[in-house]
Amino acid sequence: MSIIKKLFGALTQKPWEENQVAIDSTHSGRTFNLSNQMSAVIIIFGVSTAIFSLIFTGYLYSLPPEQDTTFILKTSLVWINTVILIFVTFFFNKISSDLKKNYTNKIKKNLIYVGGLSYLFLFLQLILWYQLMKSGHFVDTNTYFSSFYIFTALHGIHLLGGLFFWGKVSSRIFKLDEKEYCEEEKNINALALYWFFLFIVWVVFFAIVFIYNDAVIAWCKSLIA
Amino acid sequence: MSDEYDNNKTYQAQSSETMGGSAPASPDMDYVRPAEIPDQELYHGHSFITKWVFCQDAKVIGVQYFLTAVFTGVVGLILSWLMRLQLGFPGAAGFMTAEHYYQFVTMHGMIMVVYFLTALFLGGFGNYLIPLMVGARDMVFPYVNMISFWMFFIAVAVLMASFFVPGGPTGAGWTLYPPQTILPGTPGAGMGILLMLVSLSLFVIGFTMGGLNYLITILQARTRGMTLMRMPLTVWGIFTATVLAMLAFPALLVSAIMMTLDKILGTSFFMPTIIQAGEVLDYGGGSPILFQHLFWFFGHPEVYIVALPAFGIVSDLISVHSRKNIFGYRMMVWAIVGIGALSFFVWAHHMYVSGMNPWFGFFFATTTLIIAVPTAMKVYNWILTLWRGNIRLNTVMLWCLGFIVTFVNGGITGIFLGNVSVDVPLSDTYFVIAHFHMVMGIAPLMVIMGAVYHWFPLVSGKFLDEKLGKWHFWFTFLGAYSIYFPMHYLGFIGVPRRYFEMYDSPYMTSAVGMNEFISMAAFIVGAAQFILIYNIIKTLKVGKKAGHNPWKANSLEWLTSTVPPEHGNFGERLPVVHRWPYDFSVPGAKEDYITQTTPPSEVVHTEVEKT
Repeated sequence: MSIIKKLFGALTQKPWEENQVAIDSTHSGRTFNLSNQMSAVIIIFGVSTAIFSLIFTGYLYSLPPEQDTTFILKTSLVWINTVILIFVTFFFNKISSDLKKNYTNKIKKNLIYVGGLSYLFLFLQLILWYQLMKSGHFVDTNTYFSSFYIFTALHGIHLLGGLFFWGKVSSRIFKLDEKEYCEEEKNINALALYWFFLFIVWVVFFAIVFIYNDAVIAWCKSLIA
Repeated sequence: MSDEYDNNKTYQAQSSETMGGSAPASPDMDYVRPAEIPDQELYHGHSFITKWVFCQDAKVIGVQYFLTAVFTGVVGLILSWLMRLQLGFPGAAGFMTAEHYYQFVTMHGMIMVVYFLTALFLGGFGNYLIPLMVGARDMVFPYVNMISFWMFFIAVAVLMASFFVPGGPTGAGWTLYPPQTILPGTPGAGMGILLMLVSLSLFVIGFTMGGLNYLITILQARTRGMTLMRMPLTVWGIFTATVLAMLAFPALLVSAIMMTLDKILGTSFFMPTIIQAGEVLDYGGGSPILFQHLFWFFGHPEVYIVALPAFGIVSDLISVHSRKNIFGYRMMVWAIVGIGALSFFVWAHHMYVSGMNPWFGFFFATTTLIIAVPTAMKVYNWILTLWRGNIRLNTVMLWCLGFIVTFVNGGITGIFLGNVSVDVPLSDTYFVIAHFHMVMGIAPLMVIMGAVYHWFPLVSGKFLDEKLGKWHFWFTFLGAYSIYFPMHYLGFIGVPRRYFEMYDSPYMTSAVGMNEFISMAAFIVGAAQFILIYNIIKTLKVGKKAGHNPWKANSLEWLTSTVPPEHGNFGERLPVVHRWPYDFSVPGAKEDYITQTTPPSEVVHTEVEKT
């Protein structure tokens, strides 16, 4: 709400009026009280949300009628990976809040957990792909599986991008004294938000596959009929 | 909590209630604390490579974008000559087959829309002007900005490579509609289409890096006193177009990735069951219409990604060269934002003939016509800015006037095509070609030319030759109308677009002479663009020196410590902004312009607020 007010509220100003001139001259030049890193992550959110939304739209648009829509959810690795993502998000938020409170003793350990679990997530995704292919469900089997592969690939690429910056921040943290960790606070907060976003995307994917199942599709068709 | 305003300061900037409604006219009213935004650490290149090739200065990156885009534009121009040669004088180019023609049509369209116009407005003008106009030293992430250009460069190289692979570039039409795009029988269905898709993906990734910089620099790195509503309309245009691009380009990226997978891995995102030469292909279950939706979800905002920066730039040029404040500044900002928002709700007007539900067509026709309202507002405001202005009829102003006329022309034919019942018979005819070339080809090109003549003194420190500029304008303006006016008629008599040859059809014989005339005009207009290149070379060698602020403009880009601006833009201290950039011809002022950095104490007896 505040963002909308800030952006669109400004549009009603009359910059040529005497009173507004006086007020405007104290303007700091910043629109939001956010670091540049955090602003970048929020903009990447916007772009990535558009990408994933369009993939979901494609999935819903061309779902094969004979396909069991909950097939993916029956594989245990999908559930395990969801739990891993929850843990990663939790640890990143912990790092972020610890930095705010100046509790620096567990930051290195938690950063290692984040990286380790994220790589484990990617490894298990590959295992999941292998299992699917072994059971004869390839990327070209039908649009249901094509959508799953493309979604998980793009999600994984996003995670790899995040891991690149995680590596940069971690290497700097490991070179610093505990008292100097706050220098990296902006980067860590931005990364924590990024990981949270990747978790949300995963949950939305999960929800769509879960909710848009055969029974719901049949119900929708009955409504139209 | 925002730190937008500094409420703890003792400066005059209390609210109007505490000031009794008027600003005190004492010297201390000028005091404003220096830059609030912490000064930026810049990487200064020391060798030729780091200064001019892998450079992190947004101005150099802007020029790099500009030159690369102009190179692609020249390629697009040559392709259009070849197309017109075939259409006007069939068989005159002996080497040209139908396949070549389709390839030229496709590459011309994609190059001009994406690699020329988009890159030039956002990459070229965006990089050069944003930091200067908002009072920043550079973009907020200069390294990422540099990578953005090189991604664009690689995207162009990959696209151009498709001319040299077996089978040549794709000939599927610039809209790349599946299923025919990737099936044998379409020119360039092998490597050609793959390189096109890879190039588009690289372009989008590169642009996202640049767009990230434009948005954060505009929102978060302006200098003290530069509120959003004190920004020049050029910045508003580029800002809104960038927001559009960040939301619309993902659709292009997703469709490019999906089509690449359809081509190389055999997925069927866009491929239905197909029987080819009696044989059932492995594809099945996909939807070509899904691609059309994705493509136009990108494609229509793309029109405004090109148009909005042009709207912003032309507003500033008209204001400066008619010595008047822009009429209805707030309306202009609202119109830019409104057009940007509406542009996401009109995409299916490109798909009226795809067999859509009539109610769907009704919805999109309505939204399409609604978008004409803010657009018309802008046209009125440009005209009202000119009204009783002290107009300098120089080359820049000629291009601006040419733009207004051309844009109105193309806009009106857009209202025709926005209506389903009119669009269906005109669909895929030369009327459509005439419409979109007028509205998003020639009109933005006129703004580009005006902007080049306007800002060249800033980039080089020298004026472009006015006489050559006027010749350039009149050849282009009259020539463009000679090309596209007759095309409307061709559309009415039913001449279809994308046909290699059509003269066996007896009902189209009247088009023959007209096609010859159009082709001759196209050759002349194309050649006339080399007047600008000659003018630039001549000016760089022996041009008249421009000095500081030669147009007597108000915005910050003209108030740099050196001309051309050095890396870091503003010397030791960032400028402090005291007013909007449109205080021209203010009653009581000594000069007919008051720059954005002029403090209130220097203009105490003026009637600034009444302008």
